[in-house]
Amino acid sequence: MGAVLKSFAQNRKALTGLVIVAIIVALAVAAPWLTEYDPTRRVGRPHQPPSWDHWLGTTRIGQDVFARLLYGARTSLAVGFGAGLLITAVGTILGIVAGYKGGRTDEVISFFTNMVLVVPNLPLLLVLAAFIGQASPWVIALILGVTSWAWGARVTRAETLSVKQKDFVKSAEMLGEPSWRIMLFEIFPNVISIVGINFVGSVIFAVITEATLEFLGLGDPKTVSWGMMLFNAQNASALQVGAWWDILSPCFALVALGAGLSLLNFAVDEVANPRLRTGNTLSRWSLLMRQGEGRL
Amino acid sequence: MSFLFRRLGFYLAAFLAAATVNFFLPRLMPGDPIEIMFSSAGGDLSVENLEALKLTFGFVDGPLWQQYLTYLQSVFTGDLGRSIKYYPLPVTELLGRALIWTVGLMGTATLISFTLGTVLGIMAAWRRGSAFDVVFSVGAIMATSMPAMVLSLMALFFFGFELNWFPTGYAADPALDPAFSWQYVSSVVRHGILPVLTLSIVLTGGFLVTMRNNMINLLGEDYIVMARAKGLSNSRVMFWYAARNALLPTVSSLAIAMGTVLGGSLVTEVVFNYPGLGNTLYQAILARDYPVIQGQLLIMTLAMLTANFIVDISYVLLDPRLRSA
Repeated sequence: MGAVLKSFAQNRKALTGLVIVAIIVALAVAAPWLTEYDPTRRVGRPHQPPSWDHWLGTTRIGQDVFARLLYGARTSLAVGFGAGLLITAVGTILGIVAGYKGGRTDEVISFFTNMVLVVPNLPLLLVLAAFIGQASPWVIALILGVTSWAWGARVTRAETLSVKQKDFVKSAEMLGEPSWRIMLFEIFPNVISIVGINFVGSVIFAVITEATLEFLGLGDPKTVSWGMMLFNAQNASALQVGAWWDILSPCFALVALGAGLSLLNFAVDEVANPRLRTGNTLSRWSLLMRQGEGRL
Repeated sequence: MSFLFRRLGFYLAAFLAAATVNFFLPRLMPGDPIEIMFSSAGGDLSVENLEALKLTFGFVDGPLWQQYLTYLQSVFTGDLGRSIKYYPLPVTELLGRALIWTVGLMGTATLISFTLGTVLGIMAAWRRGSAFDVVFSVGAIMATSMPAMVLSLMALFFFGFELNWFPTGYAADPALDPAFSWQYVSSVVRHGILPVLTLSIVLTGGFLVTMRNNMINLLGEDYIVMARAKGLSNSRVMFWYAARNALLPTVSSLAIAMGTVLGGSLVTEVVFNYPGLGNTLYQAILARDYPVIQGQLLIMTLAMLTANFIVDISYVLLDPRLRSA
């Protein structure tokens, strides 16, 4: 575990991604201190370009874009990490149980997993959100959690199948440990890299999908979020009237968060699968050497 | 062969499950589904038409299982009912018109991004760790994690509104009549460039990363070392030894991409106001046009299942180990 964290800390992509995400989290947390405006109130004249009073201009109905961006980050992050956690939890539990238990249990779980995988996801989400009507961010997070766990379950199951064959699992079985204990303390720590990839990927997916659903007008209009900002800006014909700040601000925010998270994901992938690593050969070699020393 | 039969059985079950979800969705909604389904049609529907509509969706009198069977029967006979919004246009005809545009749009984008992504992925893997690799693989990962609407909106803003290089909506100039003339075709191409461009950027990233990672995993294999030891040229080892084998998983993602063709371009179509399937589904959702929504979901699932089946067949053809299994 220590070696994993260490190689993670020495990965330049991981650090860059971490810094980007940390900055966005900090901005979201510090929102009340960074802006005096209420994100839901009319605080200026409509569609004012960026100025000293309104750093990123105002919306069609005179709300401060910068304030909405900061408070909106809270929603995007909360839904992203909340739904990401839910997706990962469901996928990991089902994957480990299916892979470890095998037999009938595996057949049933795998059948459902494959079934969910072949049903087109985005259209289904759209229809579900539309049926529920004006879905709040939490409802969206819940829908995402229920419908999007299949990929994680499949890869976790595959990884569990190979870990299951290892000697330490066999010896735990022979010691008579209960199967929940083996799954939790023997299997789970050894598939943690897959779980990590699954988690970061799910967060990215959740952030994108929440914003997409809201952009398409299926969200709750009272929500302050990046997706709603895009929806309102698009409805106010922001591009046609040249109010680029109204629509490009949430765009760049989403790009920044997506870039940060995807750099993290790339790095987790490299840590889990050393062959994929870039970086210069010498430092990689010395890193391997140091890790070797630690283990011997 | 038994492998394919097993898969076929699975796909049939999956299709049945999708049809079942389709059947129960409106019934799970709060309130009376029939009221909600047909209230939007208002006074446009006569009593007989209403009855006919109800019939197609299994909203017949009788116990639930009887309704369900009636619904399944209409699904398997290819009768998707009629649109409520554009009554009495049959759903199949409405979707058929939109299908052409989406297939054109996504077909072109998939072809471009598959070629580009695969070649760039091969080169990135070959020069692993070089500036070329870092720029393209990191760029690809970022492109895949960018919401489609962000790219589309930015492209629309810069190339559509600011520079005024491309039209900002529709599949062709509405003033022109559809005909196989130079004027009409060039108009279609001009209207398609921005949507195809944004779709290609997102799709290329996925193909590039898959190909690169497959290649890197293969480059450590003994037969690659052996090919080099024989003194073969770099390009021969790269394309005929490594890329050929790394392509197998990519073929599956190509087929899956083809399966998502019908749903994949929804956001882009909405932003560019392109009259494809995605936009049709979106408009149907806004208008609560349930027959269209249900028909569309079924067709998308069918496309996805067909694509998956093609993957299975291609695997059997490409990987001899599966034939005996």
